[in-house]
Amino acid sequence: MSVISLEVEVLDPIGLHARPASQIVKLVKESGLTITIGRPGEDFVKANSALMLMSLKIKTGEKLTLQFETEDAAVASDLHVQIQEFLKG
Amino acid sequence: MSLAQGTILSGLGVGLNSSVGEVLVVKPQAPLPAWSKSSQSAADEKAALKQAIANVANTLDTLGERAGGTTAEIFEALKFLLEDEELFELAESNIDEGWTAGAGYGQAVDTFAELLGGDPDFDERVKDLQDLSKRVQADLAGIEMALTLPETGRIVLVGEDFSPADTAQFTKAVVGVITLKGGPTSHTAIICRSRSIPAVVSCGAAADLANGDTVLVDPVGDRVVTGGDESLATKAIEFVALNEDPVIPVRANIGTLADAQGASAETLAEGVGLFRTELLYLSAATAPTIDQQVASYSEILAAAPAGPIVVRTIDAGSDKPVPFLHMPHEENPSLGVRGFRLIQDHRQFIEDQLTSLEAARLATGREVWVMAPMIATVQEAKQFAELARGIGGYKVGVMVETPSIAAMVDQLEGVVDFVSIGTNDLSQYLFAADRMNPSLGALLNHWQPGLIRTLARIADGGKKAGISVGVCGESASDPAFAVVLAGLGISSVSVSKSQVTVVRNALSSLDLADCKEIANKVLAATSAEDAKAAALNALAKL
Repeated sequence: MSVISLEVEVLDPIGLHARPASQIVKLVKESGLTITIGRPGEDFVKANSALMLMSLKIKTGEKLTLQFETEDAAVASDLHVQIQEFLKG
Repeated sequence: MSLAQGTILSGLGVGLNSSVGEVLVVKPQAPLPAWSKSSQSAADEKAALKQAIANVANTLDTLGERAGGTTAEIFEALKFLLEDEELFELAESNIDEGWTAGAGYGQAVDTFAELLGGDPDFDERVKDLQDLSKRVQADLAGIEMALTLPETGRIVLVGEDFSPADTAQFTKAVVGVITLKGGPTSHTAIICRSRSIPAVVSCGAAADLANGDTVLVDPVGDRVVTGGDESLATKAIEFVALNEDPVIPVRANIGTLADAQGASAETLAEGVGLFRTELLYLSAATAPTIDQQVASYSEILAAAPAGPIVVRTIDAGSDKPVPFLHMPHEENPSLGVRGFRLIQDHRQFIEDQLTSLEAARLATGREVWVMAPMIATVQEAKQFAELARGIGGYKVGVMVETPSIAAMVDQLEGVVDFVSIGTNDLSQYLFAADRMNPSLGALLNHWQPGLIRTLARIADGGKKAGISVGVCGESASDPAFAVVLAGLGISSVSVSKSQVTVVRNALSSLDLADCKEIANKVLAATSAEDAKAAALNALAKL
């Protein structure tokens, strides 16, 4: 399985808090894909748990990498756009 | 039955109607069992945990459906935390180590709480998580956490005091409420008044009531009568409106669009005397934009009853947390950074709020007055007035809630256009009695002579300064007290929607000279009981 990596930026003024975290988890679960998220160069977490996402304590302005385990670039791109939208605040 | 029929239990009445019902004693919740290793198989414990999580999720769904709107969204978000996959997996691995389901889940929540801890953005979520953890553990231990109240019948709830979460769960079957502690400005009292549920608060002797006792809740008589029926109820003075208009305007207190619409549709309120804006922000995770604020304010201003609309700028802090302001924990929050004091750290938010109100005023063409809460000095009043006048074309005023500004009202000439007295907080500060402390209810009785004389001085100060003085606290919702307020020289009152009609009737049943005569008799009293009796006797003779 190939992995597609795409970057997002957290624009929400209070960082990655409960609401965007839950929105991301909901989307990830609906997609049925394995998606991981994290700061470049650090350990990634699976994006299936809002609590795990929140525990990364990501602040406004940070850039994150999303890794989609899929062959389908269109699907990954679509999810990427939606996740970026959640992070706008 | 533990008490003889006809026993009279004294307290402080809330409301004007009596009710008879069957006692349901709400006991404080039993403690959760200590965490221990399990004697069952891990598979059984995991199944039990899954079931308990499902049960709590169902409860949240039910609460959400009952509450609707924004509150439903909050319960939805809580469910999401409750059912978090990683949390469940961590709980499972704790169970694999031999712990019981309750211990496994509790420890897993603690682990996440620690991961999220120390970050002010997540403090509230950590509290939510811990509350969910308790609910799951209580479900596993067979302990009732939520009030499960019948939907039918006539029950009178008896408890120490009820939290806002408890009161949200009152069903139609709740016809009366008795609290052992809790004063007339407690959450219980405010909710009961707004929902027209007769209540007697601060009634310590009610501890002897037992499930199934029939009681008469007699708020006008400030008492509960065991085995009593409606024929024993103290009659509220029937105010027959003789004049078309009340001696002073009666306005409505609102906090939401629904309140504004209700006040317009169901009452003859002359405008709004207190628009509490913090309710618009309580569930917002981030500060709303100016556009969003203008939209909410415009909608509410347009819907409000005809007349001026007095808007209070945000009164966050103390018992009213607003998430996005991230207010630090304080030892004594009611003596802390709250109300106008927020300008220290949140000036931009207050400016944005004033800007939004001005845009909404222009958009709706309504007469808007704006006032700041928790003003303690003339300098603060000036600071707010200059800020507000620089932003908008509304009338500008301040709340009188601190004894310090109460003493300085005559010096506000030329500084503000009006003041409004919040008698709930003013009483708290006058009597040094925390509104949230259920044991101090009697000090917060609005018939306390110390409060009445202070109100008289504020009214005099307003007259000297040539500014109008309104009252928007719970006290004005008591029709007999509203008459006293008019007699003291107060120029308008603002009351909850459910009280507008009775207060209007009272103030339309007599003239200002009568009000003054009654107020003078009340001013001579030296106890709350005497003050109330003096007013009721004088009213009865008219």
